[in-house]
Amino acid sequence: MNEPTQRISIRALTLWRIHGVINAAVVALAAIGIGLLTYFFEWSMWPFIIISIILALEIILYIFVIPTLRWKRWRYEVREQEIELQYGLFIIKRTLVPMVRVQHVDSEQGPLLRKYRLATISISTAATTHKVPALDEVEAEELRHSISSLARVAEEDV
Amino acid sequence: MFEPKRLHPISALINFIKGLKDAILPLIAVLFLNNNQQDGWLGSMPLLISGSLLLVILTAGIIKWLRFSYWIEEGELRIEHGLFVKKKRYIPIDRIQSLDFSEGIFHRPFQLVKVKVETAGSSDALEAEAELTAIHKKEADHIQLVIDERKKEKFSENEYEAVDRKLVYQMELKDIIIMALTSGGAGVVISGVLVFLSQGMEFLPVDAIYDEVISWLQVGLLVVAAAILFVLFIAYGISVILTIFRYSNFSVYIDNGDIIMTRGLLEKKQVTIPLNRIQGVRVDENPIRQPLGYATVTIISAGGSVNDSDQTLTILPLIKRKQITDVLRRIIDDYEWDLPANRVPKRSLFRYILRFIWLPAVIAGVVSYYLFPFGLLAWILVPAASIFGYLSFKDAGWNINGNQLTLIRRILVKQTYVMKKHRIQAVTKDQTIFQKRARLASIEATLKSGAGGASARLWYLEEKDTDIVMSWYRYKDSYNNGSLD
Repeated sequence: MNEPTQRISIRALTLWRIHGVINAAVVALAAIGIGLLTYFFEWSMWPFIIISIILALEIILYIFVIPTLRWKRWRYEVREQEIELQYGLFIIKRTLVPMVRVQHVDSEQGPLLRKYRLATISISTAATTHKVPALDEVEAEELRHSISSLARVAEEDV
Repeated sequence: MFEPKRLHPISALINFIKGLKDAILPLIAVLFLNNNQQDGWLGSMPLLISGSLLLVILTAGIIKWLRFSYWIEEGELRIEHGLFVKKKRYIPIDRIQSLDFSEGIFHRPFQLVKVKVETAGSSDALEAEAELTAIHKKEADHIQLVIDERKKEKFSENEYEAVDRKLVYQMELKDIIIMALTSGGAGVVISGVLVFLSQGMEFLPVDAIYDEVISWLQVGLLVVAAAILFVLFIAYGISVILTIFRYSNFSVYIDNGDIIMTRGLLEKKQVTIPLNRIQGVRVDENPIRQPLGYATVTIISAGGSVNDSDQTLTILPLIKRKQITDVLRRIIDDYEWDLPANRVPKRSLFRYILRFIWLPAVIAGVVSYYLFPFGLLAWILVPAASIFGYLSFKDAGWNINGNQLTLIRRILVKQTYVMKKHRIQAVTKDQTIFQKRARLASIEATLKSGAGGASARLWYLEEKDTDIVMSWYRYKDSYNNGSLD
């Protein structure tokens, strides 16, 4: 089976790294807090050591490793009769959604996404919802249009 | 029937009891937890509070009944209710999927029924679209008739065959009793008996070396065990009797493209499922019933309310495995459930077992660390779990036959999902990096069920088999995709 053809926007990488930085910053704050407590109240060093390790892992994984892997894996393809998605880090998922099953398409855009001119599309069937994250704004809009018009053509009960 | 109608007055009582049920915890709390015997007006506070609470609930029940009216007008079922905010709900009769009737103990003396109106997509997934708490049976039949008439008008004559309700399946008393005996409670009781026996064996004075204190302790344990066992047996007995009541007279009818199920001795229930809402069929064989050759057949159906989706759609609660094909064919003709299955490859066995034993192993590790040395007994869980892992491997299978996909999997209960291509909402293949190396993958198909979805997932097939399933589901031009309804 061939992989789906389309990739999501390369700007998603930057976005996910920023998310990683924000997460790491929260953990770093906690680490500083614990460090201070350890210093002033003479706690044992263990909590501080553990949270430092977590922080290091967080930085390596969420800022560097995972965004790249995730972006490399993400593929999608919208054909006239079906949508195909491929995603996942360690578990690679391949999903097939027939156009006749699509009930509606939503796009959403948070403040960060907007800044990078990205949008997330979610495709809903009667029973499932499938998200394509961080598409280029314009592309997302086109996709939403084409899916909803294709889905309308292929209408049928349930 | 244009003039608004009220429900039967008994519904005020039913509302009251329903309200009481919701308020029972606060009531108990007020009455008993605050019972420190004060004199004067403070002492009677709890009574006053609970008294006024009861009064409020009673009035609410009556008002709810007074302000509730319904009628049929311009092809719509119209309902109005509410005291301060008047709520109107107009349901087009074309949209009504089914009427479900049930009769409780308050309904039966007055020939009343409770009617639940189900439409395709209920706005509030947890509730039926509308509920008439208590109306006369004749009235309910009349509404049913109006709906049927309306549907008859809509379809052309030849499409609508005026066939009478046809009985297709009736559960025998023997089956009902077996079902009651082997239902959920049974496992608890059996394990209770085993524990009791093991305790008893230990207690038998094999060695006379036990000193008095220890044997006294053991007698104590035995008494506790016996008491627990006794309670278990009582609970089991009650659940058996309740199940027998609930499922007696269980019958399935086919009526104008609807499946109608009726059951119940004290409380009668009737559920209607339109045939065209059926999304798939699931056959369950649990470890207790399977050796006896019994299985349960459930219909996965779209629409309806979530809270009673599972129970009400069990169309064959307990049936001999051999009879399923036969009975199923009388109800829905195009589902073939007993096709030869393609198995998963031998090299998946290890993964199946691993999947089942990792959690017990972790638990056993923790338990034996903290409760050394008796905690070591917990390691028994691991071989037990690996047996289940092996069974899961052995039973897993799939089959494609025309536009039908069958997935068989077992966690504890062996489940056979039978699905039609045009009812599957999405198919997903997934694979870890390690599985890719071993050329294995898992497959998952999702159906619409109730207001949500039901997924059938099969672990660790040959990767090329998952590709076969994927390409079967993939759109193909012309004839291959066709065969819709």
